[in-house]
Amino acid sequence: MEVKLLSARFDIKDAHLLEVAKAHGAYETLDKLFTMTPVQVMEEVKNSGLRGRGGAGFPTGVKWSFLPKNLDKPVYLAVNSDESEPATFKDRYILVKDPHMMIEGIIICCYAIGCHDAYIYIRGEYTSQVKILQKAVDEAYAAGYLGAAVGGKDFRLDVTVHRGAGAYICGEETALLESIEGKKGQPRSKPPFPAVVGLYDCPTIINNVQSIASLPFILANGADAYRVYGTEKSPGTHLFGISGHVEKPGMYELPLGQPLLEVIDKVAGGVWKGRKLKGIIPGGSSTPVLTPEEAKTVTLDYESMAAHKTMFGSGGIVVLDETVDIVKLVENLISFYHHESCGQCTPCREGLGWMLKIVKKLLAGDGGREDIDLLVELCDNIEMKTVCVLSAACTMPVRSYLNKFRHEFEAYAAEKASAKPDLREE
Amino acid sequence: MAEMVKLFVNGQEVAVEQGKNLIDALKVVGIEIPHFCYHPALGADGNCRMCLVGIEDGRPPLVPACKTPAMEGMKVLLDAEHIKKIQHDVLELELINHPIDCPVCDQAGECTLQDYYMTYSLDDSRRGVEPVKKGKRMDLGCGVVHDQERCVLCARCVRFTRQITRTGELGIVNRSDEARVAIFPGKPLDNRYALNIVDICPVGAMTSSDFRFRQRVWFLKKDEGICHGCSKGCNIYIDHHREKYKDDMIYRFRARTNLQVNGYFICDEGRLSYHRENENRQSQTRVDGGVVGFEEGIKAFRSRLDTARKPLMLLSADCTLEQMWAVKRIANLYGAGLSGYSDASVLPGDGDDYLIQDDKAANRKGLELLGIDSSKESFMAALQDADLLVNFNNDLFFSNINDELRPLLDSKECIAVCSHARKLFEKAAIIIPTASYSEYGGTIVNGDGVLQLFRKAVTKNDDPHDILEITRLLGGAIVDAARAWPGIRQSVAVLSAVQPEQIPAEGLKLQSSEEPHVGS
Repeated sequence: MEVKLLSARFDIKDAHLLEVAKAHGAYETLDKLFTMTPVQVMEEVKNSGLRGRGGAGFPTGVKWSFLPKNLDKPVYLAVNSDESEPATFKDRYILVKDPHMMIEGIIICCYAIGCHDAYIYIRGEYTSQVKILQKAVDEAYAAGYLGAAVGGKDFRLDVTVHRGAGAYICGEETALLESIEGKKGQPRSKPPFPAVVGLYDCPTIINNVQSIASLPFILANGADAYRVYGTEKSPGTHLFGISGHVEKPGMYELPLGQPLLEVIDKVAGGVWKGRKLKGIIPGGSSTPVLTPEEAKTVTLDYESMAAHKTMFGSGGIVVLDETVDIVKLVENLISFYHHESCGQCTPCREGLGWMLKIVKKLLAGDGGREDIDLLVELCDNIEMKTVCVLSAACTMPVRSYLNKFRHEFEAYAAEKASAKPDLREE
Repeated sequence: MAEMVKLFVNGQEVAVEQGKNLIDALKVVGIEIPHFCYHPALGADGNCRMCLVGIEDGRPPLVPACKTPAMEGMKVLLDAEHIKKIQHDVLELELINHPIDCPVCDQAGECTLQDYYMTYSLDDSRRGVEPVKKGKRMDLGCGVVHDQERCVLCARCVRFTRQITRTGELGIVNRSDEARVAIFPGKPLDNRYALNIVDICPVGAMTSSDFRFRQRVWFLKKDEGICHGCSKGCNIYIDHHREKYKDDMIYRFRARTNLQVNGYFICDEGRLSYHRENENRQSQTRVDGGVVGFEEGIKAFRSRLDTARKPLMLLSADCTLEQMWAVKRIANLYGAGLSGYSDASVLPGDGDDYLIQDDKAANRKGLELLGIDSSKESFMAALQDADLLVNFNNDLFFSNINDELRPLLDSKECIAVCSHARKLFEKAAIIIPTASYSEYGGTIVNGDGVLQLFRKAVTKNDDPHDILEITRLLGGAIVDAARAWPGIRQSVAVLSAVQPEQIPAEGLKLQSSEEPHVGS
């Protein structure tokens, strides 16, 4: 089931070093790259069907084509390495195991979009990862892959590694740009979209690490070779981080379109300790949960996930066994998004804290059924009323737990709470 | 004139200015879109989410009105159930951690949150959990007192210090429902416009230490006025109130929008200058040190003027055009000299490039227009010759530049028509109390040549007489402000077509190219 496109050099010792990576094919696409026109590169990527690997799955080549033509402003690329979604740990493998694959991807992308200044925005918590990444960038500069003349050609490209200060919201495209600009990481209202008004008010493309790292394979082997893997609408491979209650948690590269339960059983060794499956979070904590029944028909691609009213997300699969207390899981989930809400928009700022307090009240045995209804209503009241989708990243999964595991919440709803007299009526 | 477009609000067609954001565009045609964070001076931020409106057939269907420009054919939904629900929901969320302490909050009565709750919500509270605790009674400096729990995080105050004063003392620290407005440790507000923050705060989070707990706002009578603190002529609201058994007192000035003069704001000194209208007022009429009735004072005034060999009249550059004209006429009548010398009210270097001017007089341009000599030389020469100085409220010692004049002034007999008890007037033979600018009306011309009309706002129990009225009692023909205008129109070319009652609300910019022509 596993394939090795992106992870081809992951098992090679010291592949993060330029010398080793180069011996195993790094930067070999550059010769081909500079024989092509930027438009040809963009077309190749479009044809490959590569979709943004940050979670939203927007076609990468199409995103690039949103850049305005004939602008007198510079174009920027920001590589989103703020991997902060709970249960997601794919990009860090690229940063640590094969950073040169990403740098090669950056060169390809920048050549295609006409960018000469790229930023790698890496989350603040990646302390050891940033050292490896910075060393790789430094090596690439020293070897002439970055700098005034990339690969000896008349193409300048400077890459700056920018560390975040540790905020989930900075993975949101525009908050990321604010953060690079030295401001508090708070999302901007859209429109305008970053492709038109982005970093320093200039056209900017923001791509996920894995999207960028997929480019060398596509360029070297062609769009059709990439499309051999995956499905028609979700081509290629993806790095899946499988965690939770499985026998063999870990990071696995798989073609898209594989049956979810088969992957869990065959790749991750199945639910651990012979326990029963309670649910599966398919793509990071913000994706709605799947029940075992639903999971039977799901395949790992964007379309199947959408058909099951959840999302492909970041490929961070979490398996929940029968012992999981869903209400406590939801408390954990909300407290994360509450903590990470930037505090800009009223619904998210005030609402997530309120929801958290209601769940805590339920857990303490002080809540009633009306509190469960209130939680459901608050999900609706908050979701999509804000500048960015952080609130929805919380309310969508919470709603799924409330709908699919309501009995567990009801078990916590104490009878006495429901029986409390309504003082207002008296 | 901007291009107009037709769009639909709840299916009803309206014509509005193209490209203007929906809040401002629809306000013009009387449609209110509720909002907290948007302010025309500070632009759209889009954080409060109160102004979300539906756009039928639009992508996206839900947009913040503050960030949405009016476009031809747009179908705006305001009264749809889902939009009303958003307004309910946002208000509920704004209130979930709010202390709801309206009975002790200064903002009550003029609070956007309170008003919106009454208009758009009236829901029962569903708060079954403890609210977040934040800082109370925080001294942010410059007389601004902050209550973090009442704050709706609209960031108007933060944007004010960044965009308007460019001092950036305020920021929002922390995230989520722990977010709060704060100063940097040990670095309080430090600018001369800080109290505007109190005005622009839509709720009771920013209060003024000067005004806190002094008056419930619904008791205040809010009259329009013009600040006389400097030659900018900023538009203000004079908020005053006569408490039972007490006198009519001013409790605060607030900025009044005039895009031609001061925009949306005023300076703190001007704002707090209302104290001067209340305090240290000259209320007694005195003749040779003794307190007399007003009529007796005027009688003495007339007889001294009649017997004076060479009287000199001195005008304040704060007087209105009408007062100046009336005094000019009375000076003619009595054969007196006339000066507008008032250099003391100019503080070189005190002004800035925003609103504050060096010149602290409200109508110096008026003196120029009426051709009243204001030079020091001619005033000194006239004073040497004069045997009586009639001073119409000109504080020659406003700054210390005239200190050396004191012996000469002391040697002359002086009649002071004054609104305030000042050192200069102490030795005057006759003291006639007069009204200050909140107690009379008239026209003034600011330093930029904008002619503005203001009206009497405050009526004291023992209402002091306007300078105009005093000139009438001295035998002058100008019985009221309107009666001054035929003469002013005839004498001053640039004012020849002015009808004071028709001066537009934002003032009338006088054409400076025309030289003032002054008749006798």
